[in-house]
Amino acid sequence: MHSIRLRLLRRLIGPMLLLNLAGGALTYMLAWIPAQKAFDQNLSDAAAALGARLSVTREGWQIDLPRQAEQVLRSDDSDAVFFTVRDVARNAVAGDDDVPLEPAPRAQTSPGLPPRMLPARRTFDAVMREEPVRVVVLRIERDGRQAYVGVAKTLRQRSQIRNATVRALVLLEALFTLASVGLIWFSVGSGLQPLNRMRAGLNARDADDLSPISPADIPDELGPVVSAFNSLLSKVSEGAKAQQDFLANVAHQLRTPLAGLRTQLEWLAARIAPAQDAEAAHSLGLMLSSSERMIRQTNQLLALARAEPSHFEKTRLEPLLLNQLVEEAIQQFVEQAALKQIDLGFDLAPTTVMGDRFLLRDLIDNLIDNALRYTPAFGTVTVSCHPAASGGLLSVEDSGPGIPPAKREAVFSRFVRLDDKTTGSGLGLAIVRDIATAHGARISLDSGAGGRGALFSVIFP
Amino acid sequence: MHVLVVEDDAVLADGLSRVLSGHGMAVEVVNNGSQADTLLQRPDAAEVVVLDIGLPGMDGFEVVKRLRARGSAVPVLLLTARDAIEDRVQGLELGADDYLVKPFASAELVARVRALARRNTPKPTVLALGDLTLDTSAKRARIKERALELSVREWAVLEYLLQHAARVVSKQQIIDAILPWGDDLTLNAVEVYISRVRLKIADAGISIRTIRGFGYMLEQTPDHA
Repeated sequence: MHSIRLRLLRRLIGPMLLLNLAGGALTYMLAWIPAQKAFDQNLSDAAAALGARLSVTREGWQIDLPRQAEQVLRSDDSDAVFFTVRDVARNAVAGDDDVPLEPAPRAQTSPGLPPRMLPARRTFDAVMREEPVRVVVLRIERDGRQAYVGVAKTLRQRSQIRNATVRALVLLEALFTLASVGLIWFSVGSGLQPLNRMRAGLNARDADDLSPISPADIPDELGPVVSAFNSLLSKVSEGAKAQQDFLANVAHQLRTPLAGLRTQLEWLAARIAPAQDAEAAHSLGLMLSSSERMIRQTNQLLALARAEPSHFEKTRLEPLLLNQLVEEAIQQFVEQAALKQIDLGFDLAPTTVMGDRFLLRDLIDNLIDNALRYTPAFGTVTVSCHPAASGGLLSVEDSGPGIPPAKREAVFSRFVRLDDKTTGSGLGLAIVRDIATAHGARISLDSGAGGRGALFSVIFP
Repeated sequence: MHVLVVEDDAVLADGLSRVLSGHGMAVEVVNNGSQADTLLQRPDAAEVVVLDIGLPGMDGFEVVKRLRARGSAVPVLLLTARDAIEDRVQGLELGADDYLVKPFASAELVARVRALARRNTPKPTVLALGDLTLDTSAKRARIKERALELSVREWAVLEYLLQHAARVVSKQQIIDAILPWGDDLTLNAVEVYISRVRLKIADAGISIRTIRGFGYMLEQTPDHA
C-alpha cells in the first residue's frame, strides 16, 4: 500500500529543503555583505580621522592625539579597538605596535628585504593578541612623506550580529519548510477529495447496484478512471443480466416437464389407495413431495431473477391494496397450515401502497411460507397489514423458535438456511429483501410478542 | 363434457388427458397449433379448450386470436410456462378466459375447466359435498337421506359456502352474499350463523375451517374423503 500523499511529500520535500537552504544562503549574503561594508567603513573613517591628526616635523611624524580623543577612539561597548601609526619603515610612531599592517602570512614572506609599499587602503582579517580582528590600514601622505595608519577591531560584535542573523534565518527557513510540508499535506488531501467522494459513493452502493458512476462533478483527471470503471461495470452488469436471463430461461424450460411429472404423479396418487398398497402409496407420496420441492425451487429461482433490479421497472408501480394482495394469497397457504395444525390468522386493514402486483405477491407468499415452514406444529402465524405514517406496514409474526439477533442479517442472504432440518431453498427471504428494496421499503426482523418467535415487518414508503 | 387439450409436451398432454378423463370428461389431445386451429373450425369441436401458449409453429396466442376472429365463444384456458405479466395480459386481451401457470395442481386445473364449462350452462340446482345435498330450487337440504332443517340465514350461509367449497371466503363476502337487501349485519353475527351451521352438519363428513381474522372454508373432512 502506498499513499499518493506520502509519495508526493517524499518527492517534494528534498527539493523544497534545497530551495529553502539556497534562499537562506542568499538572504544571508544579501544581509551580511552590506553590514560588513558598513563596519569596514566605520573602521576606515576612524583611521582617516587619525590620519588627519598626523603632521610632519623635523623630528619626524607627530600625532596630535590628546588623551580624551584617544579614549573616544578606543571606547567601545563590546569590542577592543587598537590603532597604530607607523612610518614607511614600519617604525612605530604612536599607538599599539602589534597591530598588523598586512595579513599575517604575507608579512613574513620577505624577511631582510626593505618593506614593500602598501596600497592606499586595505582591509583584511587578522589575529591579534590571540583574537580575530578586522584591520584597516591607510597610507597617509603629508609633505611628500608617507606613513601608515592602522585601526584594528575585534570581531565580537560582528560575530554576535552574524550569529543572530544566522539563527533567525535558520529558524525562519525551518518554519517555511514546515509550512510547505503542511501546505503540501493539506492540498494533496483536498486535491484527493473527489476521489474520496467517489469512494464513499461506491461504498454506499448496494451489492447489486451496477449503474455507472455519474461523470458529473468528477474532475477531468479522474475522467479516464471513471470511464474505465464504468465500462467494467457495464460488462459486469451485462454478465449478471445474461446470467439472470439464462436462469429464468432454464427455470421456464423446466416448468413444462415438471407440470407433466406432477400431473402424472397426481393421477397415479388418486388411483392408489393406501389401504390397497401401502408401500406404493408411500413411495408415491415421497415422489410428490419431491416434485413439489423441485417446483418450488424453480419458482424461487424465477422470482429471484424477476426481483433483480436490472429487471425491475419503476414505471410498473401502481397503487395497490396490500390487504387484498394478502387475501389473494390466503387460499394457497390454508392447506399448508392445516397439515401442521398451525393456527393461521389475519388482521388486515385497508392499506394502499405503491407497488408491483406480482412482485408484492412473491414477497407476501415468501414471508408467509417462511413463517409456516419454521413454525412447529400447533403454532401460530399471524399476518397483518395496516396503514402507517410512512405508507403501509406488512408484518408476519410466528411462534417458531425465532432468530437470534446475531443471525438476523444473515437470513436475508441467498442460500442461507439457519436450520438444516427444514427443507427450503434458502432463497425466500433473499427474494423478500430484493423486492422490498426495489419498492424502497424497509425490512425489520424482531422477536415476536413476549420475546418469542420471529416478527418480520415490511415498512412501505 | 368434451375438452380439447392442445399441448406439445407428450408427458404433460398424456397426464392432462388422464386427469381430465378421470373426472368424467371426454378429452381429445392435439400437439400443435395448426391442428388445433383446424379442429376448432368445427363449431362443436369442444366445450372447453385447454391451450398451451408455447406451441411449435402456430402458438397459443395465434390459435385464440383466430378462434375469436371466427366468432367462437368456446371458453379457453391458457397454460403458460412464463409468468411474465405481458403474457397473461396478452392472452386475456386476445380473448382467452383464464390462465394457469405451469406447473399446476391437477385439482386446480379440473376446478378451472369445470368453472369455465359452467359459464355456458345454467347454475346447477343441486349442490353436494360429502353427505350433504342442497337442492336450491326445491329449498331442501339433506344429509344422506335425512332432511336437514335450516333457517333462512343458515341456508344462505351454507349455500354460499357450498358454492365455494374448498375455497377460502371472507366474512365480508358471506355478508355481501346473504344480504342482498343491504341489511345491517355484523361480523359477529356471521360467526353465530357459522357455529349453528357447524352443529347441524357435524355428521355430514364435511367441516367448516376457520381462518382466524379472515373467514371460513368448507371442506370435506380428510378421513371422510
